[in-house]
Amino acid sequence: MPQVFQVAAIAAATLGTGAATLSVMNEDIPDLVVPDGNWVATGALDGVTFRIYGEDLSSGAELEDDIIFRDGTFLSTDCENSCNFGWSDYQTMEIDGVIHFTSTAICPDAPHTVVWYGRVTDDDVEIDLTWTTRRWYWTNQIPIRSTGAAIQSEVGSG
Amino acid sequence: MTSQRMTLPALILKLSILIGFILLATWGVHMIRDGLDLQIRPDNEQQVHKAIMIGAVAYVGLLAIPFVPGAEIGIALLAGFGPAIAPLIYVCTIAAMMLAFMIGRFLPTSALERFLRVMRLRRAADLVARAAPLSKDERVAMLLQGQSKPVLHLALRYRYVAMAVAVNMPGNSVIGGGGGIMIIAGLSGIFTPISTFLTVILAVSPVPLAVIFLGLQF
Repeated sequence: MPQVFQVAAIAAATLGTGAATLSVMNEDIPDLVVPDGNWVATGALDGVTFRIYGEDLSSGAELEDDIIFRDGTFLSTDCENSCNFGWSDYQTMEIDGVIHFTSTAICPDAPHTVVWYGRVTDDDVEIDLTWTTRRWYWTNQIPIRSTGAAIQSEVGSG
Repeated sequence: MTSQRMTLPALILKLSILIGFILLATWGVHMIRDGLDLQIRPDNEQQVHKAIMIGAVAYVGLLAIPFVPGAEIGIALLAGFGPAIAPLIYVCTIAAMMLAFMIGRFLPTSALERFLRVMRLRRAADLVARAAPLSKDERVAMLLQGQSKPVLHLALRYRYVAMAVAVNMPGNSVIGGGGGIMIIAGLSGIFTPISTFLTVILAVSPVPLAVIFLGLQF
């Protein structure tokens, strides 16, 4: 076999085995599990903006964020700064006067998926979310817990 | 050559020193990791990804070059990011070993020596120059420098086992490290690519597999 084909064959075998090894060894971390329920796109939180203060549960880092609901969609300004997620659809369900909401934001420029699950009681909100990054060589997840309250929206049209 | 038998107390002492060194090194790496405070956050994930990619490419390139410390980059990545990065390090190590083997096997010796001298890698060039006039068997013997004749005969018969042992042997940096060993193996012409590939897959697996499956934490 000509040398160039031998080199190509060895390189292909190395890359193929590497890819197979990584896909077997790279353990996926599931996104945040949102409770089952009668989730509906009601737009119940449209027009509301919450300022939330959270903690990265793995590093202990503190986070501040404004989350905006508008026209049945949702946007996190902090997530927008890190990756251009844009506006994502959200769904709600009401249980005993508490509005539960969930949204899944996917970054178009990088393999980030952020799953939000929040509970709104009057003007207060509690949120759990996972920021999961699935790179070809590993999966990394940042779990975050936040609380906050409604504020007057300064962003308006976002 | 006289063979020296190690007494039991001496063996125990050596093992104790080795275990002590491993414990000390583990503690040191742990301290370095804490000191670096490498945390992946939403706002720095992209930078971390770029750093890992640059580190991985540098690791493959440096590990393939004789006498150039490359393993330290792999250890630094493991120390910084823990078991999650072990599969990438494992694959990169295989890639580096095969890259070195292919360089030795397919590049003419004179061209390789010249290239290494241009790159100011004098010791690596000297290693290739030393191997050039030797027979195939003598080149394999270079991999096991300092071993007795019976060991060399055994190594030639079970040359893939010898290659795996040489790659994993502590202190193999004296004969060029993993990259140097694989270049010489390629130069020898007695190792077939497929068998070498399978040997390398097994030979470099102990550390990453231990990290992944035994959950060793740095």
